[in-house]
Amino acid sequence: MPTVTFLPTYRKIDVEYGTTILDAAQRAGLAMNVVCGGLGKCGKCLVYVKSGNATYDRDSLPRFFTADEIARGACLACKSQVSGDLHVLVPESSLIQEQKILIEGNGKKIDFRPSVRKYFVTCEPPSLNDPSTDLSRLLRAIQKKGGPVAEKIYAPLEILRQIPSLLRESNWTVTATIAIVPGGYRLINLEHGDTTKRLYGAAVDLGSTTIVAYLCDLTDGSTVAVSSNYNRQISCGEDILARVNYAKKNGVAKLQLLATESINAALRGAANSAGVDLDDVYEVVLSGNTVMTHILLGIDPGYIIAEPYVPVVRRSLSVIASRIGVTCAKTAGLFSFPSVSDFIGGDIIADIIACGMGERDEISLMIDIGTNFEVVLGNREWMFSCAGAAGPALEGGEVLFGMRANPGAIERIHIDESTLEPKYETINHIRPRGICGSGLIDLLAELLKACIIDRNGHINRAITHPRIRQGAHFMEYVVAWKGETDIGKDIVLTENDIKNLIMSKASILAACFTLMNVADIGRDEISDIYFAGGFGNYINKEHAILIGLIPEIPVEHIRNIGNGAVTGAHVALLNRPARKMLDQIAEKIGYVELNAENSFMDEYTSSCFLPHTDLTLFPRVEKLLNECRIRKV
Amino acid sequence: MTETTSSEWTGTIDQVILGATKEEGGTRSCSYRIGGESDLPLLGTVPAGIRQPLIAFELCDDLHAWPQIVRHYVGDVADDPAAWSALAGKEYGADLIRLYLTSTHKRGFSDFNAVGTTVADVLRATSLPIIIEGSNEPDIDSEVFQSCGEAGQGERLLLGTAEASRYRSIAAAALAYGHSVVAQSPIDINLAKQLNILLRETGLPHDRIVIDPYTGALGYGFEYTYSVMERIRFAALKGDSDLAMPMICSAFDSLNVKEVRDAEPDLRDDAAVQWEFAAALAAAVAGSEIVCVRHPKTIPLLKEALSALNSGVRRAGGESP
Amino acid sequence: MTMKALDIYKILPKKNCKECGDPTCLTFAMKLSQGKADPALCPYLDDNAKSVLGASTRPPIRLVKIGVGERNIVVGEEFVFFRHEKTFVHQPGILFRVEDTQPEDEIRRIVREVKNETFTRVGIDLRIDGVAIGNTSGSPEAFGKAVEIVESEADLPLVLKAASVAALDAALVHCGSYAPLIHAGDPGNVPEFAQRALKHGCPIAVRPKEFSGLAALIKQCTDAGVQDIVIDLVPADLGDFLAKSTRVRKEALARTAPEYAYPVFLETRDLGKADAGTYLGILKFASVIVTDPLSPAQKRAALTLRQNIYTDPQKPIQMTPGIYRVGNPTKDSPLLMTVNFSLTYFTLQGYLEATRIPCYLLLVDTEGLSVLTAVASGKLSEMLVRDSLKKFDVENLVSHRDLIIPGYASPLSGRIEDATGWHVLVGPRDAAEIGDYLDNLGKQ
Repeated sequence: MPTVTFLPTYRKIDVEYGTTILDAAQRAGLAMNVVCGGLGKCGKCLVYVKSGNATYDRDSLPRFFTADEIARGACLACKSQVSGDLHVLVPESSLIQEQKILIEGNGKKIDFRPSVRKYFVTCEPPSLNDPSTDLSRLLRAIQKKGGPVAEKIYAPLEILRQIPSLLRESNWTVTATIAIVPGGYRLINLEHGDTTKRLYGAAVDLGSTTIVAYLCDLTDGSTVAVSSNYNRQISCGEDILARVNYAKKNGVAKLQLLATESINAALRGAANSAGVDLDDVYEVVLSGNTVMTHILLGIDPGYIIAEPYVPVVRRSLSVIASRIGVTCAKTAGLFSFPSVSDFIGGDIIADIIACGMGERDEISLMIDIGTNFEVVLGNREWMFSCAGAAGPALEGGEVLFGMRANPGAIERIHIDESTLEPKYETINHIRPRGICGSGLIDLLAELLKACIIDRNGHINRAITHPRIRQGAHFMEYVVAWKGETDIGKDIVLTENDIKNLIMSKASILAACFTLMNVADIGRDEISDIYFAGGFGNYINKEHAILIGLIPEIPVEHIRNIGNGAVTGAHVALLNRPARKMLDQIAEKIGYVELNAENSFMDEYTSSCFLPHTDLTLFPRVEKLLNECRIRKV
Repeated sequence: MTETTSSEWTGTIDQVILGATKEEGGTRSCSYRIGGESDLPLLGTVPAGIRQPLIAFELCDDLHAWPQIVRHYVGDVADDPAAWSALAGKEYGADLIRLYLTSTHKRGFSDFNAVGTTVADVLRATSLPIIIEGSNEPDIDSEVFQSCGEAGQGERLLLGTAEASRYRSIAAAALAYGHSVVAQSPIDINLAKQLNILLRETGLPHDRIVIDPYTGALGYGFEYTYSVMERIRFAALKGDSDLAMPMICSAFDSLNVKEVRDAEPDLRDDAAVQWEFAAALAAAVAGSEIVCVRHPKTIPLLKEALSALNSGVRRAGGESP
Repeated sequence: MTMKALDIYKILPKKNCKECGDPTCLTFAMKLSQGKADPALCPYLDDNAKSVLGASTRPPIRLVKIGVGERNIVVGEEFVFFRHEKTFVHQPGILFRVEDTQPEDEIRRIVREVKNETFTRVGIDLRIDGVAIGNTSGSPEAFGKAVEIVESEADLPLVLKAASVAALDAALVHCGSYAPLIHAGDPGNVPEFAQRALKHGCPIAVRPKEFSGLAALIKQCTDAGVQDIVIDLVPADLGDFLAKSTRVRKEALARTAPEYAYPVFLETRDLGKADAGTYLGILKFASVIVTDPLSPAQKRAALTLRQNIYTDPQKPIQMTPGIYRVGNPTKDSPLLMTVNFSLTYFTLQGYLEATRIPCYLLLVDTEGLSVLTAVASGKLSEMLVRDSLKKFDVENLVSHRDLIIPGYASPLSGRIEDATGWHVLVGPRDAAEIGDYLDNLGKQ
């Protein structure tokens, strides 16, 4: 079998002839970019064949790589096969990197009413005078310690089997772990001595791209560690659709395994950093979207994505965590959030809990922008929601020099209106490699303010400036020259990129307006706008309004709730009664199917304009743009 | 439920002036003022001096893509745009000439001087106000519109056609030489409004824009145009100033449709005329202030019908229409 | 007319009892707002809610039928002023007029034309709907005779333009049981005319001396027990008809004047020109149009205009997806793919027939959307093309693997190639150029 050696790390692996370089890399433990799922479409799995034998289609290369790169051996790892011993250089840009993952939630104070408690009891040993059973003895001791009434505690068989030896070996001093369950209580663990200080729970956001876990001390409600990890399912498909298709072809088992592996990795990471044993984690509360939740539980998600789009289950669920492969205490429970529809899942319910919009009379608008977007409009009394695909432009996809929020991504930028020269900041302040979502929003806003583009995103060809030029296929604006970048190329934004960005933001704005139409609410009736999702924290709110990504309301009423999914899960972990609300919220949300709404296409066309065709909806923006224009003339 | 009663209208359509007489700095025998409505089409009162709907006769300087039936009917005069324009005024009875510079559509066209000459010739041959349709290739827009604009300086031409992806050159020529612009969008009210905003931002005043919603031929998409026009007019009357411009309609494909091509030879002209007439009349009823035709025989029918349609329209100041 | 979801929600019981079949009152309210649910499904509506939800659905213009049998004319029950608000519902009936002073064979010729001639467009047969007989002679006998001739020639909806009660009676002898429209009850004759209408179960048109006399005339009819009324606005010219018809439609929709809640009758002779009058009537709310016989060109234009204006804007006419042939194609013939919007198909087919090149057309199901809209909305996708190729067994139809797609679908060309394995050729954007395109293809 040929050996593939990966540079610069010198990791080696033996693989069969015909294995793709991508497979070999993954097997060797290199996490490579697979944006398109390995179909040879995105060009982000660039590797250089330094020596040896690999088979690939040279004709497709010029689409992705420059002549210079091709001369240096560039090819697509997903479409190149090993045909002999091989030395392959994997550039950093082709690896999934440590991203700026959003972990902080809201910082709101939460009512602390956990669902699991520990009781350290000393039981009176049995005697001829007192021959009551081990179990009743134990339960009475728990009740005496302030625990629940003995009759209401259910002791499962596994615990019963442990009771005789454990009670006697510990000299009748044990710690009992009691979990609240529907209908009463459950004795889920029994340990020697006093372990009351070791009681933890985890709140998990099961995102399609990243998984975030909060590890909480359930004796006092404090958060002891936060950890995040990539969702390893990415190797089976970048987006939800790809993964469901994978499941249709190969069954759900592998994906289920990858989900739990990813969760376990996050839990392990958190536990390690806090010095906590995973066996002491007695509950996991998890929010994920509908498909993710189905897959995690090993339930076939296939029918969700095909007409008539029916999930198997919507309500919140409780299962024994170990039953689905999540490593924590053996009898720990896992609670998953309910969903509303195939596209509005537990993560959105968690967002709603996190921003508290279901508890107020004022009307709020909540937007979760990720790989897809979800919007919820409403208040305590009513809510409408919708979902759609914005396209990958806002996350850097379909944009020539777009990238995720990795080190080297331009995340902030300002253009001087008179010189048209840009000033930017990159993540980790290293040389720029590309532009991430927040940088793209800034850039679009700045180009508009500087009158370099018109409201359709067309570059004004009448401007003569070295940064404004005709590129290979489209007009472009040069953001950073070759000499200052880390990739040996100019970083530009093309008219085509701008078109894709406008279309992405138009979908989101149109969804907001469509919900507002259905509810007959004007923007002046919206009290607050919340951004959720990993993308949210780094958006410049003023610019988001300027380009018409969201309706215009006063900026101070726009809030980032950060990762609402984990925050919501956190609330539910610490406050069990709050979980009752979840199903109620899920039940009452009216789901609006955007494709079936007559007004959506109209709103979409109106929104493909900066900020929008109806300028009266963005009066502050108009004032600003008029001033810019006056200065120009 | 629509509020269609006039008491709820707050908007008025801008007035656009086409053509300039000697007193106004041009050489036309008349100038027209269109627009000014504050009610649904052909109802209510319009300001004094308004004359509409107007009938424009379309002709070109190169017949290579022009409907054959026209050449057949009109004869050799079609080879001379100036003579043809004169005929359109004197014999056909058109209110305006719409000159398509189809010669500029040929690949590699670069004879911009010829453009200026043709425009000047036509301006000499007819004293009617003129609409000029220029290039359809963005690369030569600038030169073509410059030539047209310059040749027609002072005549208050209507220059066509601006679209969302190419409007700067034509707007520049209109601004430099005092002309108005035809703004075309693909049968979509939002796109029409967007283009008007973009034009406004080049500095072109509101009252120098005429909206072309793009007219599908009868039976070939016409109802889409009809409805978008009703929507545009309704929005304008409800106060949307970015849609409060006069409109122009040309169902130019009418003479190419199957129903005309397949008609018996001696009935073909009738078929062509009725096909144009029905669409033009409907366009006027939907609010178009300028309707365009290519068959000369359509004009008398249309004139009579439009005059009768105007019977209820009152002119401010009491003058008759 | 449609209430907003939240406004409906406010008057619902809000029990979320699920008995209507919806999980919450809010989703039920959403469906009610879209007209997708029946208020009767909720067992707990109070009287106020019942009347509010019921009232908003009653049509503001009365439904009137003329004639019996399969070619009868049904008009009225319109909801909107502009077709784009939702749609116009019942297209106007167009009737050709004959005079009782015309020679018999002339009358028969015209009636036969109405009976037999159809004009087919985009797969739909268009026809003139009936015959109006004018009592120009003034004589009841001549009128009766003329009606008898018409009846003997065809079973068509009729309009009886009787000049007197006697003439009307003479006509009704021959057609009274076939629900002809009686034209017209006027101040001089309405009690008798109304009585005939009631007796024979016919609809009646009312024609006042002046527009302002309409209400009184209608009241006389309804007092006599006649409800199926159409109103003649007595227009002076095209502009006058436009103004009056606009006012009638507005007031009917606003439910402010009961005398306007009826379909409109138009005689193009009042307007002077048959073609312009018919076109205007079609555009501006006329439901029954009587015109002198139109020339072939005028007739086709009128029927096409009527078809266009009365198409439901939200339901584009569609073809059944599948394989369509132009000429007699063989295994080597070109294969073109396009959408199942009828207009696209017929336009393309028309140009293809003119080229005389036999070929196959694969129509994919974009639910009637045009190429541009289907591409923009994602309805036309590579998956749809792939599935259609499979469903219609196209691989066995042609021996080559070249698929010609519409010019506006060019952004999809790469993805279609990847998804289907076929070689994609991007055709012209304008169907008119398909001939040149195929010629050039053949030469390569």
